[in-house]
Amino acid sequence: MGDTQERIANHPILGTYEKGEPVTFTYDGKEMTGFEGEPIAMALKANGVMVHRYTAKKHLPRGIFCAIGRCTDCVMVVDGEPNVRTCMTPLKEGMDVRTQYGVSDKPFDEQ
Amino acid sequence: MKRYDLIIIGAGPSGLSAAIEAAKRKMNVVVFDENARPGGQLFKQIHKFFGSKEHKAKIRGFVIGEQLLKEATDLGVDVELDSTVMGIYPNREIVVRQGDHVNHFKGDSIIVATGAAENMVTFDGWTLPGVIGAGAAQTMMNLHGIKPGNKILMLGSGNVGLVVSYQLLQAGCEVVALVDAAPRVGGYGVHASKVARTGVPFYLSHTIVKADGTDHVTGVTIAEVDSKFQFIPGTEKHFDVDTICLAVGLSPMSQLLKMAGCEMDNSGPAEVPVIDESGATSVPGIYAVGDVAGIEEASSAMIEGRMAGIKVAEYLGFEEAEKGDKEFDKNVAALDGLRQGMFAPRNRGKKIEKTEEGIDISENLLLHGFVADDEIERFPGVTHRAGVHPVMECTQNIPCNPCEDACPKHVIEVGSNITNLPHIVEGNECIDCGMCVASCSGQAIFLINEDTGDGKAEVTMPYEFLPLPTEGQTGKALSREGKPVCDATVVRVRSSKAYDHTNLVTISVPKDMVMKARFFKAV
Repeated sequence: MGDTQERIANHPILGTYEKGEPVTFTYDGKEMTGFEGEPIAMALKANGVMVHRYTAKKHLPRGIFCAIGRCTDCVMVVDGEPNVRTCMTPLKEGMDVRTQYGVSDKPFDEQ
Repeated sequence: MKRYDLIIIGAGPSGLSAAIEAAKRKMNVVVFDENARPGGQLFKQIHKFFGSKEHKAKIRGFVIGEQLLKEATDLGVDVELDSTVMGIYPNREIVVRQGDHVNHFKGDSIIVATGAAENMVTFDGWTLPGVIGAGAAQTMMNLHGIKPGNKILMLGSGNVGLVVSYQLLQAGCEVVALVDAAPRVGGYGVHASKVARTGVPFYLSHTIVKADGTDHVTGVTIAEVDSKFQFIPGTEKHFDVDTICLAVGLSPMSQLLKMAGCEMDNSGPAEVPVIDESGATSVPGIYAVGDVAGIEEASSAMIEGRMAGIKVAEYLGFEEAEKGDKEFDKNVAALDGLRQGMFAPRNRGKKIEKTEEGIDISENLLLHGFVADDEIERFPGVTHRAGVHPVMECTQNIPCNPCEDACPKHVIEVGSNITNLPHIVEGNECIDCGMCVASCSGQAIFLINEDTGDGKAEVTMPYEFLPLPTEGQTGKALSREGKPVCDATVVRVRSSKAYDHTNLVTISVPKDMVMKARFFKAV
């Protein structure tokens, strides 16, 4: 994990941001908070999560890259479903978000 | 299968503009967009646009997006979101993925306004988390209020790289360097200058050697390149960063047009459709507008959209040719106005040596992102006189004239040729209202009082950062290069609805620093 990224509380041009209700979700079992409706990737970023998945062959880390649903670098296992584009998928209360190893939520040595 | 008079693919600036013109003419229009929100990239654009009034100059991009969307919705345009157009088939039939379904539609005409995708460059470590596209940075900070990183290196000095660097500073991030392999700054000099004066160093003829880190970016090494873009050994520089932002150009997303059988042009760096002035492709009834037809600004994309919307209405008999052509010609003139000056599409890649006025271009601006002290005095907007007066550090011919419109006393003149550099009209007196400073999309206008007594002078500058300095606060005045040049005291801070979030900060500095002090940093 990188340094925790702050959310921008007050922006000189945009002011404050419209957000949904605060929600709790889990990342690899660890409880985190975010706002309902924001992309999962944004909530993870705000919590300092950088790595979303490891590639199938070389086991290299990937994270947010394009943030508009084109590159698929940010896919994770969400509520048991692999390959979910976290930059496009809205966050909901109680979501189970897991690092994706290849196409599984199990680390490679357990696969 | 549902039929429409017009199907538009892409709800960005050009697609929405086309929809508005067609719907005004009573056409039954649908716009499909694969995103959850309409507006394309407009809602990420928080700077004031260039151009003149007819091009929505000095209005911020996201506000233009809101205006377009409201106009389209008021006219009854059906905007279908989360709808990915998967293919265009003969007779203008399309298939669209919506949720778990694939739906089939037919249009009597189709306007493709799919925009562009970001280009990427590869280097050691480029796949590490923390290497992001400039568009991703904009999405994070401007749509979702998330800082893309704390310490960031920007690669690319085109307008996207410059504008996004400035936005990163506005979001509270530190930009440690702006790097480009090209030997000269690619974007507008004024965009570069507003970044440089905050203290961001520019490294032209440099590019990234490698990104460091195991699980995410922890640093980056850049090095100088020669004229053949080969690294020069021994010129490496290292920066501790957590984020590397790539702004290395855009490519049209023209796949649907190719699939539809439109004739394509491969002679340039990216494949674009062959189109006429109205955006008509080689396939009857299929049009292409905006970035998919060739990368330009959102301002021109909106006009192209309007032009195609009018022509489609004529083509299908919803508009009389004579009446439509009149409207069309107005847009042709507006578009022509935007395609003037040094950054006109026909000048792409050329090195311009002199302004249209015959003045030597600032070499330092192209090499380092700011106009040098010994260059600034040669531009017509920079003059010396008694009392408060505007100094317009506008040194490149860009089609833009909000400063002229903004001045209630007609002190500033651009003239009928909107790429002219602004100058002061002799005899008209500045009343220090600050409207020119706030209206300049390039943040290149300063109000100067060269002598306020006691050996002091005052400089009023545009300021779009938080926290806003307060009256009486002391700090350092920074030069155009972003280097501290003297002590400065804030004597006045002005904010007004008319300034549209551009605050005016006035600092008092020693008299001999009045032509050097261009930014304020609290200490």
